[in-house]
Amino acid sequence: MEIRLPQLGEGAESGAVANIFVKEGDTIQKDQPMIELESEKAVAAIPSPAAGKVTKIHVKQGDTVKVGQAILTVAEVGTVAAVADRGPAEPQAPPRPVSTATTPRQIPGIPIAAAPTVRKLAAELGIDLTRVAGSEPGGRITMADLRGYIQQLQQTATAAPVGARHAVPLQAPEDFAKWGAVSRQPLSRLRQVIARRMHESWTAIPHVTQFDEADITALNDLRKKHAEAYEKRGVRLTLTPLVLRALAGVLKKHPSLNASLDEAAQEIVLKEYIHVGIAVDTEHGLIVPVIRDVDKKDLLTLSKELEDLAEKARQRKFSGDDLKGHSFTISNQGGIGGGHFTPIINKPDVAILGLGRGALKPVVRGKTIEPRLLLPLALSYDHRVLDGANAARFIVDLVKAIEEFPEDQVKL
Amino acid sequence: MEPTKTELVVVGGGPGGYAAAFYAADLGKQVILVEQESRLGGVCLNRGCIPSKALLHASKLIREARDSAHRGIHFGAPTIDLDTMRAWKESILQKLAQGISGLAKKRGVEVLTGRGYFEDSQTLRVETGGGQKFLRYDHAMVAVGSKSAMPKAFDLGNPRIMTSREALDLPEIPPDLLIVGGGYIGMELGTVYATLGSRVVVVEALGSILTGADPDLVRPVMRYAEKNFREVRLNTKVAKMATAGKQIKVSFEADGQTKDELYDRVLVSVGRVPNCDNLGLENTKVKRDDKGFIQTNSNQQTDDPKIFAIGDVCGGVLLAHKAAREARTAVNALTGASAAFDYLVPAVVFTDPELAWVGLTEIEAKERGVNVQVARFPWTASGRALTFDRTDGLTKLIIEPETERILGVGLCGHGAGELISEGVLAIEMGATAKDLALAIHPHPTLSETLMEAAEVFYGHATHTVSKRA
Repeated sequence: MEIRLPQLGEGAESGAVANIFVKEGDTIQKDQPMIELESEKAVAAIPSPAAGKVTKIHVKQGDTVKVGQAILTVAEVGTVAAVADRGPAEPQAPPRPVSTATTPRQIPGIPIAAAPTVRKLAAELGIDLTRVAGSEPGGRITMADLRGYIQQLQQTATAAPVGARHAVPLQAPEDFAKWGAVSRQPLSRLRQVIARRMHESWTAIPHVTQFDEADITALNDLRKKHAEAYEKRGVRLTLTPLVLRALAGVLKKHPSLNASLDEAAQEIVLKEYIHVGIAVDTEHGLIVPVIRDVDKKDLLTLSKELEDLAEKARQRKFSGDDLKGHSFTISNQGGIGGGHFTPIINKPDVAILGLGRGALKPVVRGKTIEPRLLLPLALSYDHRVLDGANAARFIVDLVKAIEEFPEDQVKL
Repeated sequence: MEPTKTELVVVGGGPGGYAAAFYAADLGKQVILVEQESRLGGVCLNRGCIPSKALLHASKLIREARDSAHRGIHFGAPTIDLDTMRAWKESILQKLAQGISGLAKKRGVEVLTGRGYFEDSQTLRVETGGGQKFLRYDHAMVAVGSKSAMPKAFDLGNPRIMTSREALDLPEIPPDLLIVGGGYIGMELGTVYATLGSRVVVVEALGSILTGADPDLVRPVMRYAEKNFREVRLNTKVAKMATAGKQIKVSFEADGQTKDELYDRVLVSVGRVPNCDNLGLENTKVKRDDKGFIQTNSNQQTDDPKIFAIGDVCGGVLLAHKAAREARTAVNALTGASAAFDYLVPAVVFTDPELAWVGLTEIEAKERGVNVQVARFPWTASGRALTFDRTDGLTKLIIEPETERILGVGLCGHGAGELISEGVLAIEMGATAKDLALAIHPHPTLSETLMEAAEVFYGHATHTVSKRA
């Protein structure tokens, strides 16, 4: 049987094959990742819906595949449940010339002249079929007509894929080569996703960023004191899990920051779980995997999971679900350097915490000036949901939680 | 009590509800199906589509036997044993209901028998035989259907005044039966009771029976009724009813005149109303229209983001196959699998002869100002119809002249309900009259009338003479 690309979720219809995890002759298990797909929405491993022996691989790295397109042929298959329902296998016919065709008109109550499969696909892609010219008698729109129309749209759009959602059409920039040599690089899919998401978040959410600093001199001493014990358990104790642990406690006290806005229902959705997205820098760009139930895990577990996460991110081994379901996000630049910055909220969260690099600074304590290790904190929040007072109270509590981190939570 | 958590709760186990539950389960959802009656299948299976078709089949058998003398076959007058007939009908329903329960079990859909009541937007209380149960869900689907309307003026609490529900239970064969409302339910049950021996009078407030269908398609049904019923009384209203001993005294009003008559039983079939009462919808954000039907968008989502509604309870045409499609649309929407798209809902009336149509009717084309051409093929020209003495039929196509696309198909005649599906496919696929004319239809069959009607459009049907307009 042929294994086809299943529904990708979030409306994504296609993606580029980033990796192929199996070769012909391999035996594949149900739910074993078969390929890694870079779609507009995410980079994700696509699990096989069935078990069996791979007799043929229909795609190669870099190919663009669509939902419903054949990926593998597998013999002796266990189950077909996940693929059976999905989309027709559309034959790859060249699009017909559009110029000879007529655009059908819509008669009230009667579907437009196109087969149900064509109308359904158009509805899923959000394409208005009255704009598509039908090439067959009676103005009937074929799958090939629809495909031709989509290609037309794509050709129009490829000039500025990042700007596709801008209200104002993008203009070609000036000729930079006039001023000296230049080179051009295509935007990777991931870069395009990041660009679109950031633009969406930045334009949709009124951001405010609240700055503060936490004195982590004591916390750092604690960390050093116990680092060896963690090392013996095979884990490096860094600042991130400690901050994560402190954050979980403070989020519990401030549930409105561990929430989402449901604009349709005009409701705030308060989450009873604390799943924190961790922004990870990879050579391909930003990926935000999620650590779940942060409030229920001890430091050792958190440290271990953070290490695994970094490793998985580097190897791009995330499946779609690893990147979903966050209720709050942390972006830690401390490993690289820098002070305060203004992070952009990771939708659908309502807040994000940016950590800078801890640095020794002169601090007035009593009547003396002491060198203390200070950690820059930057909290961006959605001003539709939260007010300045909420954010200030939260960050004051967070600073306190970091500065007074209890040793018994570090001890193994 | 700790509520049971589930991903989807479907309230109502009719053809919409169980279709939704099964499809959602097939897509991997955890589903609980709540049905207040002990048997799944809703009105369709228990007191609608299925039992009425069983009884119509029995009536057809009686008529065929009665009308066979000229074929040289003589039967005696039939003896009707209502108890056996009822048991036979019941056995069909039992078999179907068991089938549905079995399908639920195989899919792991939990069926909870009891009445559902919304406590709030995410909690359903179910009154089961074993006490109250609370279900907390991610999504709920309201598929509670509709019931026969019973106007206050007729609601005397007298069992001789029936709705289709009681009429399908065949309490007796009343000598004189009045049917209030000449819609499809009234006409179908009128056909059953007239054949079983009742003197049937149909009273209709409007100027025609089966309004909504084109008049040329209704005509053969009307002719049959005029011959086999005592009377079809149009433009007449029933003002009131009163109990008169073992009979019902009915007062009619027409042209300003009133008239009283006595009937042994009355069947009220004047429309259907949604089963929205006592469901706790007021505890959710679900909104209803002025007729009480639940409002939804094209994805069957109500105004409450957690709640979907499908089938009769949302209004529109109250048909099982519409409910089943809405079930698919809703489940697709809640799993994010795909978006809603437009579709046709064919209509079939199982009278004798049957009546079926899909797409644009001639009346609608006129009302909406759509320029169409109509091609008719009368069944008097069909060899197949002649072989069983039923040439009282008509096949017609509604065609858009510029594109020759088929926009509507109407059929009246024996088996019209089976034949209409070709019309559905033709319109859904955007077929032209030429496509239909060029596809070979086997001889001798009634399906040829569709091909020949398409040929009529081009002016060269073999079995009738027509000029291309």
